[in-house]
Amino acid sequence: MRERSFIYPIIFMALITALFTFLLALLNHSTAQRIQLLEDTDLRKKILYVLDIAYESDEPEEIERLFNQDVKVDNSFEPPIYYTMEGGEVAAYALPASGPGLWGNIDAYVGISADFTSLLGLEFIKHSETPGLGGRISEGEFLEQFRGLDISSPVDGEYIIYRPAPGGNVDAIAGATQTSKSVRDLLNKDIDRFIIERRGK
Amino acid sequence: MAKDKYRKLLRLGIIEENPVIVQIIGICSALAVTNLMANSLIMGLGLTFVTAISSLTISLIRNYTPKHIRMMVQVLIIAAYVIIVDIFLKAYMPEMSKALGPYVGLIITNCIIMGRAEAYAQINPPIPSLVDGIAAGLGYTLVLLAIAFVRELMGFGTILGFRVLGDWWTPWTIMVMPPSAFFLLAILIWIFNNKRNGEVSK
Repeated sequence: MRERSFIYPIIFMALITALFTFLLALLNHSTAQRIQLLEDTDLRKKILYVLDIAYESDEPEEIERLFNQDVKVDNSFEPPIYYTMEGGEVAAYALPASGPGLWGNIDAYVGISADFTSLLGLEFIKHSETPGLGGRISEGEFLEQFRGLDISSPVDGEYIIYRPAPGGNVDAIAGATQTSKSVRDLLNKDIDRFIIERRGK
Repeated sequence: MAKDKYRKLLRLGIIEENPVIVQIIGICSALAVTNLMANSLIMGLGLTFVTAISSLTISLIRNYTPKHIRMMVQVLIIAAYVIIVDIFLKAYMPEMSKALGPYVGLIITNCIIMGRAEAYAQINPPIPSLVDGIAAGLGYTLVLLAIAFVRELMGFGTILGFRVLGDWWTPWTIMVMPPSAFFLLAILIWIFNNKRNGEVSK
């Protein structure tokens, strides 16, 4: 009887879809805030790191307080540029840099001093490099090299040069040549564009 | 009596009809997430949860489900549970969610779940279906962990993140890359089937 009915399968499917959609919507709604907070905190931490602002506790409230106090946002760019002020003047910028990696796009933020002579720090927002090889770009050992890196004398618009090439200032990651190259290229491209734009003003 | 039945179900799912090394299904994710044991463990537990609970649900409604739309119903149920796992990981284990990336969403297309739903849950009562789902999930998890054990040990010199091999160990880059899982899985299947065939011919 049920098997031959035309309307029964339709009602059945509609009911079961409604039930599961309701369940998922409920779960999504109840965790949305928590997930948003986790993501916001993660981004704030990275921007603070990039701008070389030390934070003592990992508490989301503490991170948010420090972020709102020290960091300003310029939303006229997408993704936005962050900057810090000191004595009424801009002290440093955190500018977005992105480009193709080995497996997918790499999105990063790089901190640069307002006089464009040194980098403050580098942090990756998103990448899909091989874990354990290219993925090591987001480890401290690699990132720390960009802390206070002198970029006042670029060679042909190249700010980051891997050792042992002449003028080299950073070590690449062994076993991850393609990823290292991608990171260097996207940084050089976006830093160069940013400096030229700002100098032009 | 009932106990024996469940024990048999577990033995079938984990050993005799192990989804990965006997039925050779669900191997795409087995290749993708096995370079670290922690990732494999979470992936395995996620899949076990989804297989078990979707088998249970499908079995509960099996007598009301019109036969010709049962696959639509199964996919809907499986997808809903996978999204629940994904949201849970994002909210409570953000690091793990980042490490597993798109593979959690791809549990939906894992053949093991649909396989158990069609082969078992659709024609059996709820509790045995739940046990059958758990067994298949555990079978998958154990194989993943076995592959991940070798890959993490040789690729990083660590086990579950703890360093066990000293500085003298030169990590094998190939073990970190996906192709190594092909070799390891093949070796595992070879050893296992050899042993099994030996038993049968005796």
